[in-house]
Amino acid sequence: MSEMTPAQRAEILESRLSEHGHTSPEDVDAAIARSESPSGDQPSTALGARVVARAWCDEEFRDRLLAHPVSTLSEFAPQSVPIAVLADTPTVHHVIVCTLCSCYPSGLLGNPPTWYKSFEYRSRVVREPRVVLAEFGTYIEPDVEIRVHDSTAEQRYLVLPMRPLGTDGWNEGRLASLVTRNSMIGTGHPRVPE
Amino acid sequence: MDGIHDLGGMHGFGPVPIEQDEPVFHEPWEGRVWVMAGRVIGQTTIDRFRYAIEQMPASLYLTSSYYERWLWAIERLALEQGLLDGPAGGPSPSRPPLGGPLPEGSFKTGDQVRVANRVTDDHCRVPRYLRRQVGRIERVACAWPNPGQSAASGVYGEPELVYTVMFSGRTLFGPPADHVVSADLGESDLEEA
Repeated sequence: MSEMTPAQRAEILESRLSEHGHTSPEDVDAAIARSESPSGDQPSTALGARVVARAWCDEEFRDRLLAHPVSTLSEFAPQSVPIAVLADTPTVHHVIVCTLCSCYPSGLLGNPPTWYKSFEYRSRVVREPRVVLAEFGTYIEPDVEIRVHDSTAEQRYLVLPMRPLGTDGWNEGRLASLVTRNSMIGTGHPRVPE
Repeated sequence: MDGIHDLGGMHGFGPVPIEQDEPVFHEPWEGRVWVMAGRVIGQTTIDRFRYAIEQMPASLYLTSSYYERWLWAIERLALEQGLLDGPAGGPSPSRPPLGGPLPEGSFKTGDQVRVANRVTDDHCRVPRYLRRQVGRIERVACAWPNPGQSAASGVYGEPELVYTVMFSGRTLFGPPADHVVSADLGESDLEEA
């Protein structure tokens, strides 16, 4: 087996699973297409950005999101595991990792980026988060405490970044355009308004 | 288990590989493995899938990509489940419901706890860098079945309480660390400090 490429091995596995009705090529194609081009209510960065933008605009929603994250996020997409929402403050900056595998808030944000799954990120961010964040171009003031959350159990995490200054009066849609995937993981800040 | 997958805090890895505007899948087979993994994992527990990846020889783990590790695991799980040879495949193990009543726990917010040092070759979700360390219970995270038991049996058992525990980065890694590390640890992984 070891001399075959992963593509060849995957093809053999899929053919065996299909033969016995456990998958079909059409179902696999469709699931890949949904993941690559998620619609509005499927997990994606855009869906997460909508949640964050609403929390920035709507105090009642923000309180509910922090106190009852599973039920509140289920209004956007079905949630199958516990999730906690971590609100950044002027003195605390949250970062998420999974050192043991690559647990990620996929139920909201979709598939994780390669860097999140990399040995480099998983090994280093718990030891030297300021150095790792700087590699993303993200600098955290020395008087801001960094909290690195290792997703060691079945609970997932989502970071609620701080609303950028200079966005008074912006509506949800416009605010959502500032929310990046990395700002919901903690390796980035939201975009700065033009 | 004391495996190569347990990377937290290790030295020897370089800069984080950050790719701009990366695709969801870099190769078509990666997407197909991702979908097949969903089917195969549905026949067992997520813990047994993780444990399967942890069985990879260390040198192979370190030279395999993310979806190559998934492929390696689901080839073995699909065989174990009989999915390659017939229509078998029993009902999916039912996942614990979300938001159910929480079981009793021994600890409360603010308690100092020590992480147990239980090293066997079973599946375990306590990272090596936290063993024997003392932390403070921040809050109850959730209730979830013990990962080692779910990995061994392929079914989800009775939930136990899981706590979010905070640790001093400086205690774990020494100066100049000035951050806080939190982890979610089960009742059975903690002792009174």
